[in-house]
Amino acid sequence: MPEGLLIEQLRLSEGTPSTAPARTRADRSAPAPRTLLAGVDLTVAPGEFVALVGASGSGKTLTAMSALGLLPPNLRIDSGTIRLGGTDLRAAGEAELNRVRGGRIGMLFQQPKRMFNPRQTIISHLLEPLRLHAGLRGREARARAVDLLAEAGLSDPGHWARAYPHQLSGGMAQRAMLAVALAGQPELLLADEPTSALDKVLERQILELIDRQRRQRGLGILYITHDFATVSAFADRVVVMEAGQVKESGPAAAVLDAPQSECTRQLLASSALVPGPKPAPAASARTVLALEGVTKRFAAAKRGLRPALEQVSLTVLEGEILGVLGQSGSGKSTLARLAVGLESPDSGRITRPTGARQGPGGSAGTAVQLVFQEPHDAFDPRMRLCASLEAPLAQRGGLTTEERQNRIHRVLQEVELEPGLLDRYPGQCSGGQLQRLTIARALLLEPTVLICDEATSALDAVTQRKVLDLLLRLQRDHRMSLVMISHDMNVIRYASQRVAVLFEGALVELAATEDFFTDPQHPHSRQLVAASLPSRRAGTTGPQRLVPETQELLDALPPLPA
Amino acid sequence: MMLFLARRTATLGVSVLLASFLVFLIPYVTPGDPARKIIRSRVSGEVVDEATVQALTLQLGIGDPLWTQYLRWLGRFGSGDMGLSYTSRTPVVEQVLPALWITLSMVVATLGAAALVSVLLGTAAALQEGRLADKAITTVTQAFIAIPEYWLAPVLVLIFALKLSVLPSAGWAGPASAVLPVTVLALRPISHFTSAVREGVLDALSAEHVVAARSRGLGRRKTVLKHVLPNGLLPLTTLAAVWFAGLLGGSVIVEVIFAIPGMGRLLYDAVLNSDIPLAQGGVVVVVGLAVVLTTAADLVHRLLNPRMRAHHA
Repeated sequence: MPEGLLIEQLRLSEGTPSTAPARTRADRSAPAPRTLLAGVDLTVAPGEFVALVGASGSGKTLTAMSALGLLPPNLRIDSGTIRLGGTDLRAAGEAELNRVRGGRIGMLFQQPKRMFNPRQTIISHLLEPLRLHAGLRGREARARAVDLLAEAGLSDPGHWARAYPHQLSGGMAQRAMLAVALAGQPELLLADEPTSALDKVLERQILELIDRQRRQRGLGILYITHDFATVSAFADRVVVMEAGQVKESGPAAAVLDAPQSECTRQLLASSALVPGPKPAPAASARTVLALEGVTKRFAAAKRGLRPALEQVSLTVLEGEILGVLGQSGSGKSTLARLAVGLESPDSGRITRPTGARQGPGGSAGTAVQLVFQEPHDAFDPRMRLCASLEAPLAQRGGLTTEERQNRIHRVLQEVELEPGLLDRYPGQCSGGQLQRLTIARALLLEPTVLICDEATSALDAVTQRKVLDLLLRLQRDHRMSLVMISHDMNVIRYASQRVAVLFEGALVELAATEDFFTDPQHPHSRQLVAASLPSRRAGTTGPQRLVPETQELLDALPPLPA
Repeated sequence: MMLFLARRTATLGVSVLLASFLVFLIPYVTPGDPARKIIRSRVSGEVVDEATVQALTLQLGIGDPLWTQYLRWLGRFGSGDMGLSYTSRTPVVEQVLPALWITLSMVVATLGAAALVSVLLGTAAALQEGRLADKAITTVTQAFIAIPEYWLAPVLVLIFALKLSVLPSAGWAGPASAVLPVTVLALRPISHFTSAVREGVLDALSAEHVVAARSRGLGRRKTVLKHVLPNGLLPLTTLAAVWFAGLLGGSVIVEVIFAIPGMGRLLYDAVLNSDIPLAQGGVVVVVGLAVVLTTAADLVHRLLNPRMRAHHA
């Protein structure tokens, strides 16, 4: 009897609604081609770490959801086999599938915080699989739940068990989700980009946790990702998908060193962000945005948390690209919100560009614009995009309707989008399109400084590269100053001229990009640079684990920022 | 949370004061001599001679500045002294309280029935989205809005009271007499509630954490009960409170047709007979109750949402 997960010749297409109840984002997005999966073959043996790689929309998630029998109701499996051990999952009834879900297959999702019921505590989510699959109830179940949270690396698990999902940071939520996924002692873990939205250090910690389960008890892992660094460090085998088909599969080292298909080569090329030559900003450049001794505290500082920002002084020069690096919770987003004026500092001073570029009605606030991380959340889902784009212009006043339309079309051309897109609703666009639209909306107000808060973190590697290049071109064309806030070392290294490092709310390092990556000064900077190094050595067989010195650095990290 | 409570109590107080001031003004802005109208609401015997009127005007302080009169009036109302009804010559309070009790029980029964029916229908429609059951439920409940109470009530009386003789046609005595008026009153809330429940449940169904719950092995029914309905039914709490307030004063037609001695009937009679003290008492009680209920609903809505709870903790 074959062990592990076996998917053979899986074909999936849009069809009449089946009885599947779950509605996901997929069925709200733009009309997809009729055939979504065209004969996918995939196996995950017990104790094997298989990476499933591909651009967004290539069918990775659908493949995983097929195994759980949780496809959106408008999709239908046409043919193919899905087996887990001796069980035929396609033929299995609902009761059998409910035993498999959570009991034999655990699932991790990309947006952990959205995967918890906002009205229930963390522990009540854990008690479900414990009752359903481990037969635990009452005090026994609660004790096991807290143990699971501790195993998932959550410090003070007893406290966080009683917390509500919104009180957890992204990294903590993913750890809690991992505890939930492993509660039923599954033999297979489906992980759908669980760390794409997390910083590198957290990503490594989560991967290590999963990998420990693989080694200790033979957990099979299907890890969906677009990040080749992850693949190289952990995966035994790689499966590359494009347009619903498997383009390439094989041992991780072989695929990465000698990619056979064009699509793999393209993915590899875009994920390797090779920094180009970057002119340093002119020494005589004017300061356009200055923070002097800025401190900001939040009311939630009760559990011994540090202030969000402490005595930060930073200047942005005219026409420069400044990278701001930091882990989750280091104060990056607070910095962005302060710079735009969405928050005011408790102490210190912020000097924004004066309204030189504005029309008569322009407030100082429009000279600094912000591009957010989650493009889906940045637009009102009930407004057509043309209305969303026109709103800030109309609010500023001073332009006729025709002038507003002209400007919107001009900016749309700059971000390489079709004007036809304007008649759509946000739900009908891809993440990449929406992120271009948020950039377009920011450009409409002709900012002097554009702040991008993790603007490319939610995008797949190919789209990320395109959006980054777009930002760099716009920065040159408009001679804007660009502030790139990111946890992604590669993005910072690729795009920025100077790097500022935030650590627990303080600015700990500010250096030219080249100097920073070759000779980081602060201990935290050294950890960040070390964690971002590619850890695979060419020519080794089998999966390569973390380089020892990297592991040491990771172990030396402070506990998770809350 | 304390700050929220304080703010809500403040707005609540302002609304009640504003409404009561308008009510207080009624005898001054309606045709006729305000002094005579006020005296009539304070003195049980008929006053005819001019000398007594002048003496009472002085004694009751009717010549005082408006705001002192208002404060005095408010103090009396607050302590339950709402004056004498013009028509029955008995204290207004003694008429308002029994009427309020009847209307309250009718409104509670109506909202309870409407909520029960709507939760069932709305959830069923959402779970069958786009299919025949959904379309049928949506169409029929939407049509309820268009059925006027003054048409439906006589038709139901005709069928169930006069032809079939299974239910009483009028009055308010026992559960049987409540069936027809509650049915007539419940139709429009059912219509609004059902569409709110349907939207709320659809919204809750599309939340990503619902798929996550299914991926833990939770069955479809349990997922709906545990993770969909608690989130999907939340909008209903606010809507029900708004309707509660609305029905308190909006049950006039039904109370008049079914001869139910409730608040609607009381206000209707007060206006027909130009019984100013009775109208004043009725309006202040209804408005006060409506404002309190809306605030209470807001509070409940907040308590049910952990996010909001935390923000003010």
